[in-house]
Amino acid sequence: MPRTASEPTAGGPSPTGPTSPTSPTSPPSPPSPAGPPAPKGSPGPIRFRRPRRRTSRRPASADTRVWNRLALPGTLWMSVFFISSLLLVAALSFGTTDDLGNPRFGTTLDNIRRLAAPAYRTVMFRSLEYAALTSVLCLLIAYPVAYAIALHAGRLKNALIAAIVVPFFANYLVRMYGWSVVLSDDGPVLRFLRAIGLADSHTKILNTGPGVIAGLVYGFVVFMIIPLYAALERLDTALIEAGRDLYGGPLRTFLFVTVPATRQGAVAGMVLVFLPAMGDFVSAQFLGGPNQLMIGNLIQDKFFEGQDWPLGSALTMLLMAVLLVGMFGYLRRARKDEAEATR
Amino acid sequence: MTAVDPQRRPGPPGLPGPDGPDAPRRRRLARPPRLARLPRLRRRGVEARPRFAFVVTVLFFVLLYLPIGMVVLFSFNSQKSLTVFKHFSTRWYSAFFHDHVLLSSLGMSLKISLVAMIGSVVLGVALALGLVRARGRLGSYSGLIMLVPLITPEIVTGVASLMLYKGLDTTLSTGTVMISEITFSISYVTVILRSRVAALNPEVEEAAMDLGATRWQAVRLVTLPALLPAILASAVLIFALVFDDFVLAYFTTGVDPQPLAVRIYSAIRFGVEPTINAVGTLMLAGSITLIAAALSIPRLFGRSGGLDLLSGD
Repeated sequence: MPRTASEPTAGGPSPTGPTSPTSPTSPPSPPSPAGPPAPKGSPGPIRFRRPRRRTSRRPASADTRVWNRLALPGTLWMSVFFISSLLLVAALSFGTTDDLGNPRFGTTLDNIRRLAAPAYRTVMFRSLEYAALTSVLCLLIAYPVAYAIALHAGRLKNALIAAIVVPFFANYLVRMYGWSVVLSDDGPVLRFLRAIGLADSHTKILNTGPGVIAGLVYGFVVFMIIPLYAALERLDTALIEAGRDLYGGPLRTFLFVTVPATRQGAVAGMVLVFLPAMGDFVSAQFLGGPNQLMIGNLIQDKFFEGQDWPLGSALTMLLMAVLLVGMFGYLRRARKDEAEATR
Repeated sequence: MTAVDPQRRPGPPGLPGPDGPDAPRRRRLARPPRLARLPRLRRRGVEARPRFAFVVTVLFFVLLYLPIGMVVLFSFNSQKSLTVFKHFSTRWYSAFFHDHVLLSSLGMSLKISLVAMIGSVVLGVALALGLVRARGRLGSYSGLIMLVPLITPEIVTGVASLMLYKGLDTTLSTGTVMISEITFSISYVTVILRSRVAALNPEVEEAAMDLGATRWQAVRLVTLPALLPAILASAVLIFALVFDDFVLAYFTTGVDPQPLAVRIYSAIRFGVEPTINAVGTLMLAGSITLIAAALSIPRLFGRSGGLDLLSGD
């Protein structure tokens, strides 16, 4: 390492500059690990700190090789078992099935054309609608909760956040199952609503669209609370004070100071909720009944019951495409935000 | 600014004060400044407690715990009903412990979680070290592909895995579930550890090497011990996540035996089975124990731990 060689010189004889006895033997460009301390023409005292970038300039030093070798197995594993399998799905969406129902690779656009059928279109739009509504509802629920905890919970803060995260670690299926019991026709929610007169004996939540959305919200609201909480926690309360100094009421201060300052957490939360909500099929299955299918149910059906893998692959790619467009938009937005913040 | 020069204050009316004819104008000047009317701010600079947010929070916690509470409560019900609680009984627990199918599923899930934990931690820690320290094309490629699973919906990962095994002409089995779970978990380990590796001071390793250690010895004797709390925490987290995972297991498992989550899924799908309440309660207890362990590990080693583990930074 350069440091090894440089340290003795630092406290030793005064810097010798260009006429250093070691410099003529030194290779001009890449200082080898055991090489001489000061490059040619280096003025003044020797630097103690290695410049950060130096590692990247050294083409194949022993160091870089070690780190690359460490990264290699994981990279290979992910390439073989993840990237290649995604590519297979992409390829099969252009494939066909033979007479026995076995998938065959091909170059047909049939599957993609079939996606445009009204039945699939309905399901696709329903999925988008439910996932979007879920994101918005999660935001509306999570904002007050995160706000109350981050700014007003005092010493209870960590305990409350832990109390929100713990149910998240209960098995997803069991949670959904419990939720379906809660929302069932003689479950506590409907009984309560009937008691206060907001529902009658015909009102149903299970097997309706709102039932599915309730399930999705219940399943993924944690993903909204955590980033929002992080953003609100970081919020400089002097900003709120400033808002009040400028005669903003609580609502105006909230809308024009707090919300803009925590916008990034909200957007991150929307993405974190939207992604899994779009791909979920358990909520629609347990809480939605046969008329509330989402794209995840279709994919599951094509792979397990329908045995139409090419069409299932095309549906999977459609789902990925929608989500990638969303992700791309989010990343661009985040980069813009970042650029604004650093300007 | 709020202070008003007392000498300028006009004298009591009627008395010939020093102000003389200027008095009325002075009086206008001396009006208390508007700033004095500002509401008194709380000490910590935050406005009064928002009642609306408090109501929502309470309601939220009620609804958050209601389903889990129902599952736990009715796991002790003596009847099959899910709406009427009769007597306390451990009937469904003993039903679970006598159900050989469920027990073999439990064993299989434990095996899968253990293998996935070890595999993904070994690969993920190496990848995190490599990603932070290595530069160049390989690094950016690895950095990209380890992020892809995090933004891919699980169902897509499941479909893709299924396709790969079909393409390789492999029969689905415990092994295929393990491989898929490792793939899915590497990203988590890497994300958790990457920031910790980046926070390490590389000069400590260099010091070890100055003292005669080889690069590998420095990693083994200096870097890994420094990362140990984060490694253990992510290992426990992965164990819990894989044990609870349903979607990926559902797509990659063979016929018999099936992981516990897949069994639960079919049990719920084909009718109400109160044993599920008992299984769910046991799984919840297990998860909470594991997570509590994971969260307390960093603290054990004298670091500020806790929630930053979950947010990944």
